[in-house]
Amino acid sequence: MKKSTLALALAAAFGGMPAFSQTVDQKLQILQQEIDDLKAQTRQQAVLPQQASPYSLDYSSMLDRSSGLANGGTNIVGYGEVGYSKFRQSGNATADLQRFVFGFNHRFDERLTLHSEVEFEHAVVSADDHGEAEIEQAWVNYKMSDAVNFKGGLFLIPLGILNETHEPPTYYGVQRNQVETRVIPTTWRELGVGMHGILGEGIRYDVGVTTTFDSGKLDDPTTGIRSAHQEGQLANARNLAVYGALNYRRPGLLVGGGVFTGDTGQNGASNPALQGVAARFTMWDVHAQYRVAGLDLQALYTAGTLGDADKITAATVAANLADPSVTAFAAPKSMKGWYAQAAYHVYKQGNFDVAPFVRYERIAIRQAEDPGNDLFQDPNNNERIKTLGVNFWVHPQVVLKADIQRYATDKSQDRFDIGAGFMF
Amino acid sequence: MSSRTRRSLALFTLMLGAASGYARGEVYQEPDTFIAEVFGSKPAPKVLWLTKDTQAQVGAILGHAPAQLRQRYWSEGGKSVWILEETGKEELITAGFVVVDGRIDHVRVLVYRESRGQEVRQSSFLKQFKDAKLVRDNRLDRDVDGIVGATLSVGAMERMARLALFFERLSHDNPAG
Repeated sequence: MKKSTLALALAAAFGGMPAFSQTVDQKLQILQQEIDDLKAQTRQQAVLPQQASPYSLDYSSMLDRSSGLANGGTNIVGYGEVGYSKFRQSGNATADLQRFVFGFNHRFDERLTLHSEVEFEHAVVSADDHGEAEIEQAWVNYKMSDAVNFKGGLFLIPLGILNETHEPPTYYGVQRNQVETRVIPTTWRELGVGMHGILGEGIRYDVGVTTTFDSGKLDDPTTGIRSAHQEGQLANARNLAVYGALNYRRPGLLVGGGVFTGDTGQNGASNPALQGVAARFTMWDVHAQYRVAGLDLQALYTAGTLGDADKITAATVAANLADPSVTAFAAPKSMKGWYAQAAYHVYKQGNFDVAPFVRYERIAIRQAEDPGNDLFQDPNNNERIKTLGVNFWVHPQVVLKADIQRYATDKSQDRFDIGAGFMF
Repeated sequence: MSSRTRRSLALFTLMLGAASGYARGEVYQEPDTFIAEVFGSKPAPKVLWLTKDTQAQVGAILGHAPAQLRQRYWSEGGKSVWILEETGKEELITAGFVVVDGRIDHVRVLVYRESRGQEVRQSSFLKQFKDAKLVRDNRLDRDVDGIVGATLSVGAMERMARLALFFERLSHDNPAG
C-alpha cells in the first residue's frame, strides 16, 4: 500500500513533465530528504504542538519555521556584551561580562503576544557580588491593527533612542552613551498600560500610564533620577505617571521625541519626610538619526526637572539623622544633556562593516544644595565627554568595538575600551 | 459604580469598538491576490527543486539551513513572482518579490506579524530594492538603508531579496520540472 502510494506520488511528480536539466536521481534524493525532514517534524510536533504558518505551507518557502511564531509558539531572543576597560589615571583595568539578556516571546493567538527579557549583569549574581538579575521587560500586547495596539505589564519607556533600542550591534562605542545613562536612565522600564501604533507612513505614537520613580529611594545624585527607579519591584504606586512619544521613521532617518511626567513623592512611603510632597518629575527629549552615503549622524537633547528638590534634600538629612548609615546629599533638581555623534562606514565587504566614530556628550545635573548641612553640588555632575572609536561588524548581529574616552571633569574615568556584542 | 467610572468604561469600550473596526492589520494583501495583480490572473505555479549544492548556497544567503527543498513560484513573460518568508526579530515576515531579467521589479510586504518594525512595509523602504541585482557572493548591488528599531526586520527583507534573485537565476539554469 505504501509502495503504491509512493509510486503514485512519483508518477504525479514526474509524469508528463517537459524536459528538464535536474535528473530524476537528484529529485529522488530531494524527495527522500523531504520525507526525512517531515518525519523529524512530526516527531517534534508530537512533543511541542505548533501550527506552521499557512503561508509557509502553501508557498513552500525557505525559512526555518521553528524560529517563526505560529499560534501557540514560543521563541527565544537575546543579546549580550563583554568589555575591557583600561583606566588612564589609575592604570587599573577591568574586564566584564556587562550583560547577557535572553527573552521569551509567545504568541497566544493572532492578536495576543507576550514579550519578555531577563537580564543578568556582571556575570555573577549573589549577595557578595556586583551582579544583578532582573526582568527587563514582561508585557502582553494586543494588536487590533498596526495603528492600534494595547499593552500591559513591565515595559520600556519610549524616551530617547537607546532606551528602546539598546542591543550592542545597534549603537556605537563599548559603553552606552552617558547622556542616555545618567540623564535618561536607560534601561528605564515601568509597570503600566499603554497604547501604541503606526500611523500613515512611518509615524509611530506611544502613550500610556505607568508607575514612576520614588524620590524617597534616591541614593545617588550623580545619576540624576536613576537611583529613584523602581523597576517593577514592589513599586510604590500612590503616584503614577503618564508618557507620550512620537517618532517618524523612514529608511536612514529617525526624528522624534517623548515626554514623561508624574509625581514621585509617593506620600513618603520610602522616606516619611516626603509625606505630602509632590516631587513632580518631568523629562522630555528630542532626537534624530540620519544616514546618508555611508555617514551615520545622531543627536539627542534631553532635559528634566524634579520638583521639591529642596524638600528631598531635607528628607535625606532627616534620614541621616535617624540612621547615620544613610548618606545625606543634595538632591538633583534639574538635569539635562545632549550629544552629537558621527560615524562613517569606511569599509564594507560581505558581512564585514567597519565604521570609525566620534561622539561629544554634555551632561549638567543641578542639585538643590543645603549649605547649612554642607550639602553641595557634585562637580562631576557637570561633565563633557569625548569618545573616539570604531565599530567592526563581523556579522550584522555581531560587533567588535574599541574606543578611547576623555572626561573633562572626572578624569578618573578617562579610559581605553575594547568590547564585543551580539544580538539574536 | 460612580458615574465617572461608568463614563471611563464607556469611553474605553468605545475605543475598543472603534479599534476592532480596523482590518486585522497583519495581512496587508493575500499572496494569491498579489500574484494575480502582477500577472493579471494567477498562472499555474512552477516548482524549483533544490539540490544539496543549492541548499548550501541558500543557507549562505539566509544564515540558516533552508527548511523546504522545493520552492514554488509563478512566471510568465519574463516576469517571476516569489513569495518568501523569513523571521525578523521574533516572527515571520511574508513578502512578495517580482523579478524581471535578474533585477527586482518591486517588493511588497504581504503579512507582518510583529508589533514593532512595520516600517519595512512602507514604500520609502521597499523602493530601495527597485532594480536591485545580485553581485559577487549573491549579495545585492547596493546598501539598503535600515530603519531604527527594525534592524532585524530590515535584515530579513534584504536576505529575502537576495534569495528571490538567486532563485530567479536558478530557475533559468534549471527550468521548472
